[in-house]
Amino acid sequence: MYKTLVFASLLLGTAHATTYPLTLTDDLGRKVTLKSEPMRIVSMLPSDSETLCALGACDKLVGVDEYSDYPAQLSKVAKVGNLYQPNIEALVALKPDLVLVSKYGDLTAPLTNAGITVVAVNPETYEEVFSKTLTLGKIVNREAQAKALVTQMRRDIAKVEILTKNAAHKPTTYYEIDPTPYTVGPNSFIGVLLTKAGATNIIPASLGDFPKISPELVVKSAPQLIFGVDPAAAKARPGWNTIPAVKTGQVIKDDALDHILSRPGPRLPQALLGLAKRVHPELFR
Amino acid sequence: MVKTLLLLLLTCCTVVLAVGLGSVPIAPADTLRAIGHGLSGAELSGSDVIVWQLRLPRVVLGLLVGAALAVSGGAFQGVFRNPLADPYLMGVASGAGLGATLVIALGLGSLFVPPLTLLGALLSVAVALTIAREGRRLPPARLILAGVVVGSILTALTTFLLLQNEDRVRQVFAFTLGNLAFAGWPQVIRLTPYVLIGGGVLLLLSRALNILQLGDLTARSLGLPVERLRLLVIVAASLCTAGAVSYAGIIGFVGLVTPHLVRRLWSGDYRVLLPISALSGGTLLVLSDLLARTLTRPAELPVGVVTTLLGGPFFLYLLRRQAT
Repeated sequence: MYKTLVFASLLLGTAHATTYPLTLTDDLGRKVTLKSEPMRIVSMLPSDSETLCALGACDKLVGVDEYSDYPAQLSKVAKVGNLYQPNIEALVALKPDLVLVSKYGDLTAPLTNAGITVVAVNPETYEEVFSKTLTLGKIVNREAQAKALVTQMRRDIAKVEILTKNAAHKPTTYYEIDPTPYTVGPNSFIGVLLTKAGATNIIPASLGDFPKISPELVVKSAPQLIFGVDPAAAKARPGWNTIPAVKTGQVIKDDALDHILSRPGPRLPQALLGLAKRVHPELFR
Repeated sequence: MVKTLLLLLLTCCTVVLAVGLGSVPIAPADTLRAIGHGLSGAELSGSDVIVWQLRLPRVVLGLLVGAALAVSGGAFQGVFRNPLADPYLMGVASGAGLGATLVIALGLGSLFVPPLTLLGALLSVAVALTIAREGRRLPPARLILAGVVVGSILTALTTFLLLQNEDRVRQVFAFTLGNLAFAGWPQVIRLTPYVLIGGGVLLLLSRALNILQLGDLTARSLGLPVERLRLLVIVAASLCTAGAVSYAGIIGFVGLVTPHLVRRLWSGDYRVLLPISALSGGTLLVLSDLLARTLTRPAELPVGVVTTLLGGPFFLYLLRRQAT
């Protein structure tokens, strides 16, 4: 009995505390070793900054990239440029013991040369939002919090999904990310949220996650709902005045929602709720 | 003569194919019916909308833009006697790019893109002309230098603006590759006067361009007002190009290479070169756009990529054949 208790507490202990040195493979495919719990972190990705704060590690952030604007307390943290135009001198001057980067941008080499530990963590797909949250939890010794956060996020998402799953009508939807026009495929992380919000994406999965499509396809698919296009601009596009969404005024441009949707982080449930309310206002009265 | 007839046939076939095929498959009978409905002004629905309001104006705009770029390219090469001159030489493209970037960076609606690109393009030409002027003369070498440097400065400004608005980079990038995706009849109607006036003036000047090939001195001694002619050609060609850029973005290659193709297959006589270039340029662009929207359908490729991949190898083949 005693032995079992000791074993269980040991198990619990290892589940709640990260043992350092910690070696992991990051999103650049590099093996990185953290000698001890990082205490001075610079995050160059807004979604990573959000996740760290949601894990209660916000006070470990000594620097963030200029786009990290959530939660509000990050406004007091030093800004060090962005992934593509980093202010490397300012970054190094902050004496970080860990810099979180993306697999994009070329920050790794100069920082590693300066003797700073660099880990690339950039969630891109829907499932990666959860797996990277756990990775970040492990890195900053907040594993329990990360598991709790993921559980909470999944629970909040399920709450919305229960409502939308049995919706009698799932409006056909076109989501534009920029007017070239680029859109989202159903397997992209926005595409998954769109489906979970109870919409039917008009884009076939075979086109990939962020395809540049022909406007002919949108006219042909006659979506009932359009996201990401200015209503006046949609009306002005040739032939678009025949699309049901344009005819019935279901063309939505919500910059605040688009902004949250562009952050694959802890506000995923909030983004889903925002989408679901737009797709099925009748379910959220 | 046979070659010209063949080209006309190719143009017709290309237009028919381009209207019939697209990212959304539509049966030939439905296509014809849609055109009938469109012409008669009947109520449009379903595939009628795609054929009449999206595809047909897209093809017509392609013809206009391709023609405008090719004619301006030929005229620029003639007036500078430089085989590398292209419609964007005087900073037209960079000025247009800056205009479009301003619209996107300031978050103005896409309806503002054409007027500001046009303004940017024409202003950059005006600046280049002013700087290059030497008293009343416009020496070609100074013009090219001024155009290239004005272009570089404007490109740097554009890049700076873009870096301040990184989330919009892709939109501007797409503009620099050209885009016919949102062509409609209103765009066609607005672009037509630029191409007709600019292109018309260039066609009227084709005899003078022939004389200019003999050199400034000879041309002057034959009574040609060289400087005024040069200014007129630049203004007309820039007008043509700026109009095209403001409705279709920057589509490279067509303007640079089409006149050379025509020179090699027909003749260097500008009275032949310019009209045949217009026809070939339009056909090349419509064909490229057809491939751009069908190769990966219902996704699309940037048309500028296709024009280069299609025209480039053919040009290299001609170059090689002539050399040996």
